[in-house]
Amino acid sequence: MVESIHVEGLSKTYNGTVKAVDNISFAVNQGEAFGFLGPNGAGKTTTVSVLTAQLAPTAGRATVDGIDVFQNPMEIKRRIGLVFQESTADSDLTGRENLELAAALFGVPRAEVRARVDSLLERMQIGDAADRLARTYSGGMRRRLELAVGIIHSPRVLFLDEPTLGLDPQGRAGFWRYVQELRKDHGMTVFVTTHYLDEADQICERLAIIDHGHLVATGSPSELKDRLGGDIVTIRTARVDPAVEAALKAVPGVASVSLQEDAYRVKAPRGEQLIPALVQACTQAGVALTSVSLKRPSLDEVFLEFTGREYREDGVTATDRAVRIGQVSQAFGRSRR
Amino acid sequence: MMRELGALTRRELLRIARNPQAIVTSLLLPILYLVLFGQAFNLNNITKLSPYPIPPTVFLQLYRGAPSYFSYFAAGMTGFVAVTATLFVGANVIFDRLFGTLKRTSASPATPTVIFGARLIAGSVQPICLAFLVLGLSLLLGHVGLSGLDVTASVSALGAVEIVAAIVILSVMFASLFIAIGFSLEQPQTYFAIVNAINLPVLLTSAALYPWGILPAWLKSVASYNPITLAVNVLRENLFAGASAYYPYSAGVYLLGLFGWALAMFILAVLLARRALAPRH
Repeated sequence: MVESIHVEGLSKTYNGTVKAVDNISFAVNQGEAFGFLGPNGAGKTTTVSVLTAQLAPTAGRATVDGIDVFQNPMEIKRRIGLVFQESTADSDLTGRENLELAAALFGVPRAEVRARVDSLLERMQIGDAADRLARTYSGGMRRRLELAVGIIHSPRVLFLDEPTLGLDPQGRAGFWRYVQELRKDHGMTVFVTTHYLDEADQICERLAIIDHGHLVATGSPSELKDRLGGDIVTIRTARVDPAVEAALKAVPGVASVSLQEDAYRVKAPRGEQLIPALVQACTQAGVALTSVSLKRPSLDEVFLEFTGREYREDGVTATDRAVRIGQVSQAFGRSRR
Repeated sequence: MMRELGALTRRELLRIARNPQAIVTSLLLPILYLVLFGQAFNLNNITKLSPYPIPPTVFLQLYRGAPSYFSYFAAGMTGFVAVTATLFVGANVIFDRLFGTLKRTSASPATPTVIFGARLIAGSVQPICLAFLVLGLSLLLGHVGLSGLDVTASVSALGAVEIVAAIVILSVMFASLFIAIGFSLEQPQTYFAIVNAINLPVLLTSAALYPWGILPAWLKSVASYNPITLAVNVLRENLFAGASAYYPYSAGVYLLGLFGWALAMFILAVLLARRALAPRH
């Protein structure tokens, strides 16, 4: 496999004290969709900023498309596409003018500009609004315009920094559909940061989980979930008692038991079949149950496993999340792994 | 590089053209000055109150060869609008940073010098246009029963070139200065506080408004080096017959001094733009 992005011992410290990224190393293969996962402030945007030659690192080295990021930043800027988490399109220009400007800045041959702009406008479904000022666009249209601007020069590597932040579920699904189509057509490498676990699960072939500037796990979504060792049964009791943990561990079929955030996390290959025995074990230990829940392995569980903390998506309701999962799954026509 | 410069300049010009409110606002100030201030302060009217005739040479000394205060003032206003019309050029840099468009541009392969250059070209167009509009309006006012600009010299081709050069260089100088400030600040409030602190002192230490003949010596010394003074000296020497006798140097020398100012501001702005657009540390 040819590496598209190679990062070695990368660190970034702000003001000499705040370690945003701490000695991380990873590689992304050519044509791969690689997800960089973590909560707000984990170091995702800092890593993207360094890899796109906008931020100087404190230590380490990195190559993108075989070019040293720190030795040749201008060449890096020519080769990559970048979609920021915030809107960067010029509100006072039309969608078409924004794309024409980007085409000129990224050196798209003059003879190709018109055809490429028209094609992208159509593909992103903003052709009808092409000659309207960008300030009149909806959130979804602006995101699609951002994506079009990011790929106008057919980059070999596309960086997406939390590109669906603030989009509604339908908008997110549409956005990822375009990205997948582009990957299929151009074979471009996609490096995406997100804190939406379900999106990462659906879109990325491999993931890295970053927390407090450290890489805590890398692998494909299914590899990471396999490392959990099966289903997770979460048991909450009236009080925490060492006898409960011992009783749960003694239940045949239980792979492991741990106490996290006042709840016992029981790993077992067939969790649903084990629930009666687990309930009975607690009762026999003399502790009253307050709740029992079963979770199939998901990236939420992976995150909890590797960071010891529950993953919380800021401002996303359970309903929104459930709808989004459905929308994303629908967009790709496959079930969750 | 030229293609990137052209595309970014076009973008800046489109944005100016699409904000007509800003254009109207920038026109309002010079019109008010010409129609109200310039008319009210026409010191030649003092002859109406004086019981003795005032020799014309007194006024010529007062206005350094200009036939009237308004004519003297009109040349000063032409220089001053080059300053007021460039005020927003730097603010746009800050707003672009806040709204993310500067981030997009600096993530492209366009060099910081090109990004700055496009802003400078577009940012100088408006003050240059406005300065010539002030000259035209000043001439027009004389034909509608008000005090107007009275060009008493026959302006040579070289003189016309010097006038255009003075307006262009002055506009470029102040556009550079305000862009430099825009690149080094992050908050619009701070920007406006600073430009206000620059704007008025620059005007009030120049020879744009004051009749030169009655200026205190110390203010004359300060005003002599003021870039607005240097520019309006070039205009006044060329527009008024015999005015050169009231200036210690020729218009070319003042133009050279103005060029020095502009070069210094240009270099400062390029350095600050490069620092602001370089990968952050």
